[in-house]
Amino acid sequence: MSTASAPLSRDSRLSRFVNIGIPYVWLGIFFLLPLLIVLRISIAEPALAQPPYTALWEWIDQGVLQIHINLQNFILVWEDSIYLDAFLNSLWVALVCTLLCLLLGYPMAYALATSPERWRVPLLMLIILPFWTSFLIRVYAWIGILKPQGLLNHALMGIGLIDEPLAILHTQIAVYIGVVYSYLPFMILPLYANLTRLDPTLLEAAADLGCRPLRAFWRVTLPLSSAGIVAGSMLVFIPVVGEFVIPDLLGGPETLMVGKLLWGEFFGNKDWPLASALAVVLLALLVVPFVLMQRIEQRIEEGSR
Amino acid sequence: MNAAAERRLLEPWQDPKAAPFVRIERLTKQFGDLYAVDDLSLDIFQGEFFSLLGSSGCGKSTLLRMLAGLEYPTSGRLYIDGVDVTEVPPYARPVNMMFQSYALFPHMTVEQNVEFGLRQERMPRAERAERVSEMLELLRIAPLRKRKPDQLSGGQRQRVALARSLAKHPKLLLLDEPLGALDKRLRENTQFELVNLQERLGITFVTVTHDQEEAMTMSTRIAIMDAGQIMQVDTPTAIYEFPSCRFVAEFIGSVNLFEGKVVESSGDEVLVESRIGRSMRVRAFHPYALGTPVTVAVRPEKVRLCLDYREDGVNQLRGVVEDIAYLGDVSIYRIRIDAALPRVQMTLTNIQPRTEQALTWDQEVAIEWSPNSAMALSE
Amino acid sequence: MSGRHPGRSRWPLWTLLAFGYAFLYVPILLLILYSFNESRLVTVWSGFSLKWYGELLHNRQLLDAAWLSVRIAAVNATVAVVLGTLAANALVRHGRFRGRTGFELLLTAPLVMPDVLIGLSMLLLFVAMQQGFGWPAGRGFTTIAIAHITFSTAYVAVVVRSRLAQMDASLEEAAMDLGARPLSVYAQITLPLIAPALLSGWLLAFTLSLDDLVIASFVSGPGSTTLPMVVYSSVRMGVSPQINALATLIVALVAFAVVIAGLSMRQSQRSS
Repeated sequence: MSTASAPLSRDSRLSRFVNIGIPYVWLGIFFLLPLLIVLRISIAEPALAQPPYTALWEWIDQGVLQIHINLQNFILVWEDSIYLDAFLNSLWVALVCTLLCLLLGYPMAYALATSPERWRVPLLMLIILPFWTSFLIRVYAWIGILKPQGLLNHALMGIGLIDEPLAILHTQIAVYIGVVYSYLPFMILPLYANLTRLDPTLLEAAADLGCRPLRAFWRVTLPLSSAGIVAGSMLVFIPVVGEFVIPDLLGGPETLMVGKLLWGEFFGNKDWPLASALAVVLLALLVVPFVLMQRIEQRIEEGSR
Repeated sequence: MNAAAERRLLEPWQDPKAAPFVRIERLTKQFGDLYAVDDLSLDIFQGEFFSLLGSSGCGKSTLLRMLAGLEYPTSGRLYIDGVDVTEVPPYARPVNMMFQSYALFPHMTVEQNVEFGLRQERMPRAERAERVSEMLELLRIAPLRKRKPDQLSGGQRQRVALARSLAKHPKLLLLDEPLGALDKRLRENTQFELVNLQERLGITFVTVTHDQEEAMTMSTRIAIMDAGQIMQVDTPTAIYEFPSCRFVAEFIGSVNLFEGKVVESSGDEVLVESRIGRSMRVRAFHPYALGTPVTVAVRPEKVRLCLDYREDGVNQLRGVVEDIAYLGDVSIYRIRIDAALPRVQMTLTNIQPRTEQALTWDQEVAIEWSPNSAMALSE
Repeated sequence: MSGRHPGRSRWPLWTLLAFGYAFLYVPILLLILYSFNESRLVTVWSGFSLKWYGELLHNRQLLDAAWLSVRIAAVNATVAVVLGTLAANALVRHGRFRGRTGFELLLTAPLVMPDVLIGLSMLLLFVAMQQGFGWPAGRGFTTIAIAHITFSTAYVAVVVRSRLAQMDASLEEAAMDLGARPLSVYAQITLPLIAPALLSGWLLAFTLSLDDLVIASFVSGPGSTTLPMVVYSSVRMGVSPQINALATLIVALVAFAVVIAGLSMRQSQRSS
């Protein structure tokens, strides 16, 4: 029964209040409100004070309210190519990594979904397991592998494939590897969930109607898994745009990304207003993919009812 | 006891003085724009085995859920044993329900499931144990008492669900498709068991079903529902033999229908001039004005071969056998009277082995029925 | 989808799957292997040794940070399970209430929002609150816990919600029909049936908190350094065998938990 029956909801004015009210208030105060504060501080000026920014308004004598709005931060973000480049590069990295995850994750999810029933849960557990070990440490593991005297170069030189160590660590390539490695499960899980729901008789029907397997995949399986593809892609794309740890540990000086820059402005230069302005732009960039994801999710939910 | 008094006792709905046990008064339930139950009134009497019968979406389940208190009506009143329970929440009603899915609590044993309702009313432990044992014995599931629901077969689950809903000795037991999840053979046995149980305990049963055979076998009375309204309430025999309208006639069993208009009306019989030009003399519940359009309904098993066909014969038709469906005990013949008319069905018992039967395809036959085995129905 | 499809060879798929698993596991296995290496160098194997574990156990700073992280993670997981379960109840049981879209948005956004955004915005909130009415007085345990609870709640809600949605609603109706009042129905029927989801939600929230570097870095104060912060600063210095040892311990702990969970699941299946 998808609609709450009347007595349950009538008796539950209190339960409504508790169930909806408490999480709503918490998330409103600790999630939504902070984003508004970021917006407000992005139009403040940095100051040598505690906290290090100017107030939005102040009362100058006789009850006159003075409001300070400073758009300098946004102008700077637009004009200084380092910020613009960082945003473009972040989007680029997120795009490339999303495609790579899809390219590797889709066949894996497909293999899992079509594997014999009793293998599925253990195989799936193996995908999820790395999740539970520290993200930071898993990224760190790649330093040891990718660095010039690292295991990869050692192995490649050992079998005589290369003579000189490849410089992979501290390049964008290393960032790609690290992101795909860390975010692959986020791509596989929604795809797997989607593909296991697919009715196998659809493929049998396609075969019965004379459709060859590869064509059936293109015409039946792929279109029907589009919701999973979008959901998985957004789960990778959105957080990667603002990723900090991976570009910081694996990337080099030329891998400009917003997350790293924001961190630097905040912790390095102590310029809170500029960091906030970067955050506002980042947030604005992510609204579109986020709304897209939300739509898809609602569609899936309505479909499963 | 005279015959009339006995009849009143067995059929309390015939007694104008009897107080109904469940009184449903102009009940309406709206879901958005949809009227699931539409201005419905109905009385159910103490000790009845009452069935709500209809196709899916007719509102029968919503009506049952309102009796249980799981839905509150949009308007109308509901009385159980003389008490207005319209606004009473489910946990405070003297009513229990057996759910279609059985809704056995998967984390509790059979015993704990049966005990659940008694615990809620804080019955003392000793009394509780006694009642649980009584219920488990009654439904012959005592050996299963320590099992969990997922270790039971479908039939066993049904018994546990029944035991659980009877444990509190409710005044009214509601059963939502009680036999729906059982296979055919088990269903037939359980039908009779349910009836026996109901008679033994004297509890009023109200059941919802879409299976007419089930309703016919078990019920004292049946209410046929369509689009949130009751089309007819009557005993199984009356529903079958004397349907009150075309919908009921078509819903229960199969029926041949002939449209026409009344040309003569006398007492409980009318003469109908049918559209295909044949006259039909059939029973009617009430007198009709001349010229009233009516439908004549004849059950296939009431149709027989006619040996003295006359061109102006009443209740007689002539046609060609188009199809024969052999069902073992009976055969159904579909006879074409007129290309534009639906085929007339006739059921004949296979007294002779099939190979020796007289009728065959494309054979011309004459058929007839007696006036008191057909009905005139208004639209 | 199940079964094999006639006339189609599956080995390319399986090869790819194997490659995928290798990709996921080789780095972790290498970490474990080298945690037992005598030498500090990654590429040289100079003999089996447990000395890095010994050093790890005497690293006061790291141990303190780990203890702080575990405490925060436990508080976070407990509160997040409560909030997340309430939110899941709201979404599954209260149908189309007013403001539902906003509610769902608030519950989905933390799942994908980049950490730097959450971290920065939370810090600014705490600063503004401190300015406004003096609470929280400083930053540390409380602020980190609040920040973690906020995003963990969203994850718990996802887990509990799917379990609640799968539950047969007639079970609760049956309990009510048998005389249980709504709150008692929730305690006697609903909670026991969603308990596995509550447990996995708790563990997920615990792990997320234990794992977070970025948000904690923003909202922590002097004297409250979490484990990831210590790991991060030592990793930035380059490869550190102690971290290998730490990684091995974490993997061992997780593997142990998974085995226990698997065994208890099998047992409960057998007993029922």
